[in-house]
Amino acid sequence: MGNLNQINGTAEDSVMTKEIFKKTFWRTFPLQACFCYERMQNVGFAYQMIPALKKLYPDKKDASQALKRHLAIFNTTPCVVSFITGAAIAMEEKFKKARENGEECDEESINAVKTALMGPLAGIGDSFFWGTLRIIAAGIGASLAAQGTILGPLVFFLLYNIPHLLVRYQGLKLGYKSGVSFLENMAQGGVIALLTDVAKILGLVVVGSMCASMVALSTPLVITIDGASVVLQDVFDSILPNILPLGLTFAIYKLLQKGIKTTTVLWGIILLGILGSVIGIF
Amino acid sequence: MSVIQAVLLGLLGGLGIWDSRVMGLWMFERPLLLGPLAGLILGDLQTGIILGASLELVMMGVVGIGSATPPDTVSGSILATAFAITSNLDVSAAVALALPIATLGQLVGILVRTGNAFFVSKADKAAERGDYSGIDRALWGGAALFFVSYFLLVFTGALLGSAVIGQFVDMIPESVSNGLSVASGMLPALGIAILMQLLFNKKNVAFFFVGWVLTALIGVDTVGAAVVGTTIAYIIFQYAKDGKPAAAVSAEQGELSDDLGGEL
Repeated sequence: MGNLNQINGTAEDSVMTKEIFKKTFWRTFPLQACFCYERMQNVGFAYQMIPALKKLYPDKKDASQALKRHLAIFNTTPCVVSFITGAAIAMEEKFKKARENGEECDEESINAVKTALMGPLAGIGDSFFWGTLRIIAAGIGASLAAQGTILGPLVFFLLYNIPHLLVRYQGLKLGYKSGVSFLENMAQGGVIALLTDVAKILGLVVVGSMCASMVALSTPLVITIDGASVVLQDVFDSILPNILPLGLTFAIYKLLQKGIKTTTVLWGIILLGILGSVIGIF
Repeated sequence: MSVIQAVLLGLLGGLGIWDSRVMGLWMFERPLLLGPLAGLILGDLQTGIILGASLELVMMGVVGIGSATPPDTVSGSILATAFAITSNLDVSAAVALALPIATLGQLVGILVRTGNAFFVSKADKAAERGDYSGIDRALWGGAALFFVSYFLLVFTGALLGSAVIGQFVDMIPESVSNGLSVASGMLPALGIAILMQLLFNKKNVAFFFVGWVLTALIGVDTVGAAVVGTTIAYIIFQYAKDGKPAAAVSAEQGELSDDLGGEL
């Protein structure tokens, strides 16, 4: 909490007291509790803003304006939302002060910033948390769990959630402290792009390994030519071990690239498995 | 299966959907964690762990990115694990069962998200009044709708299904169940292909083969591959980070990795 004092130190009457920080942090979790298709995470976003808004706008009329503002459409990756929450609180605070000093200001620009941030942040969040961290954690966890040890689920849980909670906690701090400028600096310095790139590389190494260890496909076919029988799988193995699973994976990748739906491919695989085993090629 | 066990499984269903709704996504919604928990409820933790691992591989590509509602991993994992334990199914039959259940769960998910429009309009009215606690009530209303729907889905599925599933699976001819077993070996390829779509760009395709060669030809396990991957990622990050603008960094990165490939 050391840094937090620093935050409070920057402005004497800062809205982000320890207590409000703690309340807001807990309120970042149920972001999708009232998810709907029209405005997605909007109620969840407004919900996180409430501790700060309550302090800024005790008056019902101001409260109404602020709540309506934060009920606009919103959608991002849940684990990284706290960056935007922090930045939005910092902006609300700044605008209120400006207005008290008699300056004209347009609070709607807060929503413009939220909207501008949610897309790029979701891009990083999805490729890092969903595409990389979860895959590594699940890959390691599942290979342990396949042997029946409770370590598998535990390792999965810890590997994913330690970074998740750190990012959520630090994100709220950083978002509030440096607001929008922090995210802009990160983006301009290329650090986000670079981190996303190396995270993808790490993810791919693990995914490649999983392709070799977790996809199973072989054929029992035996071809008889002039009385000599050839076991087809042995031929494949002598070319390259594991070539059938690798080929299958890339064939499916090509289908997906062509825009064929996941569910179609899924049922196709099941059908192929059944037909193939009826004919006797698998 | 006793009614109490069905209730507990239903509660686990509520917890599973609440993971991404209320708890902020701790991955409790994934088969790798739901499998063991369902196993614990039915008194067979070991089977739950192993089934969770198999289901995780099949459902690896099923993720809720953006605003789309994916097939439901929660009901699919819990019910497939439960049926496998109560009816003594093998892994491939359980996997094949999980898929239609997940599709059904997806429908429930779509209904709830549509129904939540009611609570969103409540929130709008609360905002109109400047009523902070009205927003809280609207949010928890949506949360309750999610919980109750998934509780009912898993509870009724567990109660009705366990009686029927065993007999149903006995009726499946052997060629079909062999086929399902083959298919459950192939299905992880779909998950992996979805991940490839997410991760590939023009420059990094080769790293997939680094991992593949490590495991397929050299026999390194996934943990070992992750260590190698982390090392490679760390090296590239260190070489590329030093104060370069984004464009220069990503342009140079391809060359860097080529150099490394040559040295290794």
